[in-house]
Amino acid sequence: MAGEKKGLQLLDFWVSPFGQRCRIALAEKGLPYEYLEQDLRNKSELLLRANPVHKKVPVLLHDGRPVCESLIILHYLDEAFPDKPALLPSDPYARAQARFWADYVDKKVYDCGSRLWRLKGEPQAQARQEMLEILRTLEGELGDKKYFSGEAFGFVDVAFVPFTAWFLSYERFGEFSVEEVCPRLAAWAKRCGERESVAKSLHPPEKVYEFIAMLKKTYGIE
Amino acid sequence: MEKTTESAPPLKLFGSWASSYTHRVQLALRLKGLEFEYAEEDMSNKSDELLRHNPVYKKVPVLVHGGRALPESVIILQYLDDAWPESRPLLPADAFDRALARFWCHFADDKLGPAVGAVFASTGEEQEAAVRQVHENLALIEAELRDGAFKGRRFFGGDEVGLLDVVLGCGSYWLAVFEEVTGVRLVAADAFPLFNAWLRDFEALDEVRETIPAVDRLLEYARGVRHMLLGLAGAGAGAATSTPAEAPTAAPPAAAATTAAADIAVDI
Repeated sequence: MAGEKKGLQLLDFWVSPFGQRCRIALAEKGLPYEYLEQDLRNKSELLLRANPVHKKVPVLLHDGRPVCESLIILHYLDEAFPDKPALLPSDPYARAQARFWADYVDKKVYDCGSRLWRLKGEPQAQARQEMLEILRTLEGELGDKKYFSGEAFGFVDVAFVPFTAWFLSYERFGEFSVEEVCPRLAAWAKRCGERESVAKSLHPPEKVYEFIAMLKKTYGIE
Repeated sequence: MEKTTESAPPLKLFGSWASSYTHRVQLALRLKGLEFEYAEEDMSNKSDELLRHNPVYKKVPVLVHGGRALPESVIILQYLDDAWPESRPLLPADAFDRALARFWCHFADDKLGPAVGAVFASTGEEQEAAVRQVHENLALIEAELRDGAFKGRRFFGGDEVGLLDVVLGCGSYWLAVFEEVTGVRLVAADAFPLFNAWLRDFEALDEVRETIPAVDRLLEYARGVRHMLLGLAGAGAGAATSTPAEAPTAAPPAAAATTAAADIAVDI
């Protein structure tokens, strides 16, 4: 077993949107946990033992047993703590839809965003187009609803909301305005930001932008 | 045959005969004793119905239940558990075991599948690198069977097949097919004894034999795609590509080959 400590621990990295999903979920459920910031350039024994396959954060440790991958962690929290408010809806079809859109966010957003700040010229322009399409698609799914799940903050909201801290960066690198292109999404982001769990878990967009600038410098990207 | 009253709204599966993602759903439906209508899609000429049901990815499989569409095989499989709770479950009951099953399903789709696809789509040094990747990935699974999460089990699901068996199993048959077509050793019995034993037991199940196409059809299909892939890449015929005598009888058009290559590249 990775660690013998009782209770919940989260191996995480401050700016990771995947880690933030877990922090938000834990806060929404009122579950106490120990936050363990990881140095990703010098990975700890604990991290390497907890996630030997991918060596990535986030990892949730529950009584020392590791659960890896943010969406799997969200499922686990719903299932291991059934007396706490659930993130996934109970209706089977609604659950499938929630999984589909969270998976869409996973497949599309981070990768496209990375290409937006890493690349230049034509490939960057392509990434920009893709990002606009992704955001429009998500806006279409949100529609006029308060949250992706409807009236209650749920699974897809938790899956996507950490990326709202990256919107500023996408806007600057992509030269567009989320508010202009996807007003409903912008309103949803603001609404989510008013929730305590989200406000406490996300870092200011300027900090994310600084982080990207630092990464670019590290990798020698102009 | 289990048939609950909730089967009243009909099930229709849009799929592609050589798609392992489609096989996953067919197998799961059979394991649960759920009747369904099957519609074969020509992926080079997608039906309006498919595009309506899966506008985001435009792919198979899509399961339509009472008029509502469900795309993405692993999502469909979990839906089957949720919608038919009285049927034979694919996921285990324990939350931690469920997390493990989901983790390895994601590994199969995110790492192993693309690595196998890369072997199939390449030659020379590039292929050698891809083969090493496949071996690394299989070694991780073998280790879990030997001393890890799945130690001592006949199937990943335990005594009976579960979600991970369906996901890994529907696709692992490509390993032997690709070995035959490319001449590369992917899953040697001495290197991966437990994986091989599991696959053999899996492929012996009635529902699996009903689902997986005959190996000669798979071979013919794979030879055709490999031929097209190497032709498109401009690479000279690799050591083990089809000889003139083995030219596929139904060579797909180039567009289909690219689509097929994309499907086959991530199929496992």
